[in-house]
Amino acid sequence: MATTGDARDPGDPLSLHDRLLAATYGCVERFGLGKTTIDDIAKESGVSRATIYRQFPGGRDELLLETVGWEIANYFNRLADQVRDAPTLAELLRGGLSFAHRSISEHVLLRKILQTEPERLLPLLTTESAKTLPFIADFLLPYLRREAENGRLRPGVDIDRASEYLARSILSLIGAPGRWNLDDPDQVADLVDVELLGGITAPT
Amino acid sequence: MDFTADDLSPKAAQILDAASTCIGRVGLAKTTLDDVAREARCARATVYRCFANKQQLLAALVVREADALRAAVVAAAQPTATLADAVTAVVTTSVDFLGTNAPLTFVCAHEPELLLPYLAFEREDAVLRTAAVLVAPAFLRFLTASEATRLGEWIARITLSYLFSPSEHFDIADAQHVRALVDDFVVPGFVDSEGVSR
Repeated sequence: MATTGDARDPGDPLSLHDRLLAATYGCVERFGLGKTTIDDIAKESGVSRATIYRQFPGGRDELLLETVGWEIANYFNRLADQVRDAPTLAELLRGGLSFAHRSISEHVLLRKILQTEPERLLPLLTTESAKTLPFIADFLLPYLRREAENGRLRPGVDIDRASEYLARSILSLIGAPGRWNLDDPDQVADLVDVELLGGITAPT
Repeated sequence: MDFTADDLSPKAAQILDAASTCIGRVGLAKTTLDDVAREARCARATVYRCFANKQQLLAALVVREADALRAAVVAAAQPTATLADAVTAVVTTSVDFLGTNAPLTFVCAHEPELLLPYLAFEREDAVLRTAAVLVAPAFLRFLTASEATRLGEWIARITLSYLFSPSEHFDIADAQHVRALVDDFVVPGFVDSEGVSR
């Protein structure tokens, strides 16, 4: 996953490619996936139809799919930015789950995927999760190493396996909190201590 | 859940068997109540007396399969001595059950768009809650009812994650792999090193 930061930041010089994705994103937020056309995207971006088709020979479908992938990458980059200064792994996971839940509940585009074109776009969530899992696991590794250096891990914890386990847990909870209310900090702390870190950090 | 498989009349059970066969052969979209009647060797009217429409028949089939899964995991956990053994048995039994269920494997392979909406956001929440209640009885010898449900949801989550985003180094159908995962990451949060519930 490219660590582009928030590519829609004003003043950030965007490539033509990213400009088209940002324009598509804007159109989808306004019109929905089903109703967004290449003409809308051309108007929104100020780029001609011919140039759009040169960038995205697959046309509308390719643009929509890439836009969803791009926005998922942006979402996880924002999440990473939000939590990277957390002092401990437990606090990172708590803060990350709360922030991730809040921002996905308010996420217009991902909600629209489900409501309008689930059959075409849901398979994308599966392929995106294949990219997202290693992104989260790689992000967590240095924090696990730091916990290990500070003697806060259980003896014998394999940090590569631990990072994969945590990445799966987090991705699953973001997609579906199940019985958990992730807006409640006490529940999030309980979940992090038992399900996520129960076998990873040393009991205090 | 409204009813269990025990409440089905023999005729309704026979119709569900036929529906399962049809879906396993041609999929969910192409299966009609006429096909089901033909497969069950009964009149269309009989099918309609048992199930008002295809939606209702499918719902009854899901309930029956869920019931069979619950029975299978409870039986698998019965002879186990520790919580880790029970969790491992529940996961491997569920994976085997789901992987050998003909209608489900057909839909996964050829009509995934019908299944995927149930594996994200609110509808996945419902799946997880149902799965939690389904497998919780397997842990009642080791945990309180609420902790058993909590663990049930957690292992449903982990199992779904590995089923739908497979890992290169981990096979959710391999009992040894599952046992290592359960010992290292899942069970320590629920019981201490002496096996006592936290």
